[in-house]
Amino acid sequence: MNNARLGYPHLGYGVGLRTVHFNYILKHNPPVDWFEIVSENFMDSRGRPRYVLSQLAERYPLVMHGVSLSIGSTDPLDFDYLRKLKDLAKEIDAVWVSDHLCWTGSNGHNTHDLLPMPLNEESLAHVVERIRIVQDFLERPLVLENPSTYVGFVSSTIEEWDFIRLMAEEADCGLLLDVNNVYVSSLNHHFDPVHYLKSLPHWRVVQFHLAGHTNYGTHVIDTHDDHVIDPVWELYRLAHELTGGASTLIEWDAKIPDFPTVHAEVLKARDYVAVPTDLLLADSLQTGGDCVVA
Amino acid sequence: MSTSEPDLRTLQHWLQSFITRTGEPPFLVGARHAVPLHAEREAVDQIITRSPSLSAHDRLAIYRHAYLARLKECLRVEFPVLLLTLGEELFALFTSAYLQQYPSCSYTLNRLGENFPRYLAESRPDAAAPEQARESWPDFIVELATLERAFAETFDGEGNEGKPLLDGDRLLGLPLEALLGAHFKTVAGFRIFSFRYPIAAYFNAARNKEKPELPQPSRSYLAMMRRDYVVRLHELTEIQYALLSGLNAGGTMKELAEELDDDAFVGDALQWLGEWAAKGLFAAIELAAGV
Repeated sequence: MNNARLGYPHLGYGVGLRTVHFNYILKHNPPVDWFEIVSENFMDSRGRPRYVLSQLAERYPLVMHGVSLSIGSTDPLDFDYLRKLKDLAKEIDAVWVSDHLCWTGSNGHNTHDLLPMPLNEESLAHVVERIRIVQDFLERPLVLENPSTYVGFVSSTIEEWDFIRLMAEEADCGLLLDVNNVYVSSLNHHFDPVHYLKSLPHWRVVQFHLAGHTNYGTHVIDTHDDHVIDPVWELYRLAHELTGGASTLIEWDAKIPDFPTVHAEVLKARDYVAVPTDLLLADSLQTGGDCVVA
Repeated sequence: MSTSEPDLRTLQHWLQSFITRTGEPPFLVGARHAVPLHAEREAVDQIITRSPSLSAHDRLAIYRHAYLARLKECLRVEFPVLLLTLGEELFALFTSAYLQQYPSCSYTLNRLGENFPRYLAESRPDAAAPEQARESWPDFIVELATLERAFAETFDGEGNEGKPLLDGDRLLGLPLEALLGAHFKTVAGFRIFSFRYPIAAYFNAARNKEKPELPQPSRSYLAMMRRDYVVRLHELTEIQYALLSGLNAGGTMKELAEELDDDAFVGDALQWLGEWAAKGLFAAIELAAGV
């Protein structure tokens, strides 16, 4: 029998930790279930960011979310980076460690962007092999997020949801399901986001991401600069039902409002999961989908 | 895979080049030389799919624009005083060129600006001229960038928090000969600067949201360290700089006193050492054997 969320706990409703909120959090100890940190912002820090983090680690569950693992890159894995990642995870007792299905650079460079991969057998084999190596090194399952993408590749032969399912099953890793990214990519690539959600191995979903985005008419960009829109909340409600629920987090990285506003945004999730999926989505659910093991 | 499709490594190199080489001539997969723009567009069409509303080239350009915008914004945050000084347009030109010359090779954005002062020094219009023939104002820009980068590194780098500091009172109980020959260990993260411009005053005024006038050249000296996770700047006189930089390099007060041959120096220096210890500049004192 599958072990829901790979055995990782359901932490509740969390917020992405941002430096502009440090003072508020330290002063008010807000009743947040958990925080997610951007790993690279703290790995090398020996100053106030690391000091604040050590204080928060005593008060809240922390999860590490990286942006530079570059699991899809054809450059060699950076074991210096992985060592620091592992050391930080141990120091703050990170509940899990996540990153993205992407590559961030090649030839030793880092674009600091989550770049898309062609979705084909070559990429799949490449990513699966590297996930296995990373998991062996970290001595824990890796959790990977579906990124927002803005291009498709002529050489892609596998749909994204199938790629992610195959990747997760072959590498035996967890999934961070960014519901906003599914929505953004569904508009950019014209696929059905409901079918996407239904096609994933739901018991491997360890965590959800929610965020705002910007629709430019010709394309949609994952800007993390606003409230979550209703269609994304509806997809979240469906994802919650399909998976049996998982730790949920709001990301807000630009035009960041005060902390209570960000916290209130993620708490909306409780209202959505309290009400069943609407008839339209329920109808599509009856057509199939993976077994949910809660 | 057909022979016309690049392998993953080739594809990534090409895509990264497209995204990061802004302003460069177009190019093809695996090509060593620039090609006409229409050829680049044709090459993109062979690799990237179009959407109903965007061409393949325009879709890929989303990443190109995002790359430059993101990293330039990071540099704006790291060098706010330089931005204020240069203005938006000139700062954008410098940072765009910098990112071409020194693309990030680190997993962390904290290191993105580490070569920016060097780049500014290398790219000054009179870089090849003899030093005495150079204009002065680029020195100010380079020194300002140097200070801002050092500020960022000191803020997030190794510090002395949680470690012992030299108690200034301990100095009062030591005989003069012991102090003259003592080695003072500065705190972790301590830095000391000699500038051609009064950088600290300008820097502080700008950070306080004032609009300082561009200063005239005037030699200035500065010590930087962090205490209680706050970066602190200490302006120094020329003789204070000589003493503190000498001590920081492992020298002794006695060595400088012999060099200066100034009767007043030792008395002044003892007072400064006490003040610097009170400010937390020293981690420890090591006395010569037998003292």
